Amino acid sequence: MGNITKFHLIELGLWATIAVVFFAYSFEFNQTIEIYKFGATGWPRAILAMLVVVMIGNIFYQKAHGSAVQPGRVGIADDDLTEIKKPLSAILNIIAFVALPLGYAWSLKPIGFYAATPVFTFLVILLLGERRVRWLIGITFLIYVLLIGLFMVFLNAPLPQGTVSPFYDFSAFMLRMNTQLQHMF
Amino acid sequence: MIDNFLHGTNALFSDPFTVLIFVLGVFGGMLFGAIPGVSMLTLAAILLPFTASLDPAQGVMLFAVIYCTGTYGGAITAILFNIPGAPENAPTAFDGYPMTKQGKAGKAVGAAVLCSAVGGTASALIMMAATEPLAQWAIRNIGPPEIFALVFFGLAVASSVGGNTIWKGWLSVIFGLLIATIGQDPVGGINRYNFGTTDLAAGIAFVPSILGFFAVSEIFVQAERRAFGKYTAPKLSVDFPSIAELWMHKIAVLRSILVGFFCGILPGIGATLAAFMGYGEAVRWSKNKESFGKGNLEGVISSETANNAATGAAMIPLLALGLPGGALTAMMVAVFQFHDMEPGPLVFYNSPDLIWVVFAAMFYANLSILLIGFVETKTILHLLKIPFHFLAPMILLLASIGSYIGRGLVLDVIVMFVAGLAGFLLRRSGYSIPGIVLGLILGKIGEQNFAQGMQMVHYDLVAYMSRPICFILIVAGALTLGTSVYRALTANRASAGSSAGQG
Repeated sequence: MGNITKFHLIELGLWATIAVVFFAYSFEFNQTIEIYKFGATGWPRAILAMLVVVMIGNIFYQKAHGSAVQPGRVGIADDDLTEIKKPLSAILNIIAFVALPLGYAWSLKPIGFYAATPVFTFLVILLLGERRVRWLIGITFLIYVLLIGLFMVFLNAPLPQGTVSPFYDFSAFMLRMNTQLQHMF
Repeated sequence: MIDNFLHGTNALFSDPFTVLIFVLGVFGGMLFGAIPGVSMLTLAAILLPFTASLDPAQGVMLFAVIYCTGTYGGAITAILFNIPGAPENAPTAFDGYPMTKQGKAGKAVGAAVLCSAVGGTASALIMMAATEPLAQWAIRNIGPPEIFALVFFGLAVASSVGGNTIWKGWLSVIFGLLIATIGQDPVGGINRYNFGTTDLAAGIAFVPSILGFFAVSEIFVQAERRAFGKYTAPKLSVDFPSIAELWMHKIAVLRSILVGFFCGILPGIGATLAAFMGYGEAVRWSKNKESFGKGNLEGVISSETANNAATGAAMIPLLALGLPGGALTAMMVAVFQFHDMEPGPLVFYNSPDLIWVVFAAMFYANLSILLIGFVETKTILHLLKIPFHFLAPMILLLASIGSYIGRGLVLDVIVMFVAGLAGFLLRRSGYSIPGIVLGLILGKIGEQNFAQGMQMVHYDLVAYMSRPICFILIVAGALTLGTSVYRALTANRASAGSSAGQG
């Protein structure tokens, strides 16, 4: 097995899964195009073939050298987190931080931007370690006002309004306020 | 040319409303480029409907100015936060961000200001002098086979920068190419990989993916460092580079102007490939290759000169052939269409005033980068003083709005955060985010031009390779690739040998 670790095998498995899923799904659109010999599947399958070749090259490299950075590579990120002790609370914190924006994105359709944003902002600042309540509320408010001022009032950009009451009603209230403000000037 | 330029200048500065639009374009482009999380494309998407009420020259000029100054503005976020404002600023972050961590942010931003202005102004001058002959040359010599060959060369260069190994560099590029196959195929319009959802029929939107891979993943990386107690705030410095320091890199500037201009001329390629190739060539010709990616000023200079040199050149295919070179120039086509006009050769004869107002505005916008850039930079550098836990939600929210505004789909915000999560995991595993993004951008262009090129040469590879530009670019791409693989094998043998010797 050389220098191959469990992580390398998971990595290989993920790439292989992508290759298999994309190849299998390519039969769904395997149609000929009269004016083009290679059809709709030619290009994606060529890419998948390249993926398999490079994937094999990658695992051979890892067998010989493990996760070592290849000498002479340019523009690579320095990683000083591999050697440090990672407490469970920090791991849970980062999982929550990564999951939070996904939850926010999913909530935009039913709840809307106007109601979801302050809650999201508050939670992001909280997860990043701010514990002073005044700062939490103050910065949340400041960011909300800045965004509303720039995108709703100044640029009139359309933002998600939500579909579920009372969030939708709140968005409608904000937009009514904006219209009244615009009429004042 | 001089008369036309003076006429354009006069038209630009004689009408106060046109001046106002110019100034708003200059500041708007710089500001939206320099705010992490949004980009010049966000501003352009918001402003697009308003251009219908403007004069056509004002509308096109506004977008041209935003293009010039926004390309520069994106360098600031790349340098200060490792979040490129646009894909064309991605190579700037390779050396710019390490310089910020070393307390040399002022030098990096100062070099970006000067080189953006030099590259952009040179490009504007060449554009004014040679749009028509260059367009005619491009019509005769550049076709789909040549564009595909350049895409191949660009991807070969991209795979050799970023990523812990050449294999991971290529896996990154291939991943980007694979994402680009989602949506309709460019020849027959057949739906591919939409997995049963109609929203994916139009493909993965470009702006949310870019914001996710660059901005969101960087926030996740920094949050992780913070959670594990390894976060260090970037050091603030406002020391600009000296004239002598910049003069040392004059060859790199000239080379990047040529590379950037050449890439910019080619329809569909634009400034992104220009920046990668400018950076790649700087590494190739440098005697001190190992210093790149660790805070080498030449990396910033090459990338920023090349991407701004492409802005003027990108106007040539747009105005002369009606072919946009990127997302922003595609929006300019929409501005023309709002006014029942089509960009193309006839614009030069039907609307010469419009052309010269736009040319003059781009020239002055590039000069403005130099004048305003140095003043503004010292203020913008103070963004580094904002604590990360206050800046992060702002960036995430701006990126969400930037993603949503393009098509008005919540799906795009979801795509952005998924791209951010994928980018975070891939970065942690040593993959190249700029490689993925370049694959994503060039994938569709590459496929379309490959298909058209193959049809043109009747699927005859000998006929394809007998086209001189194709031959040169394909061979150059193959050599770049071959050299990287050879270096990988020899360097690893050497390191294995030395470790065996030590053992």
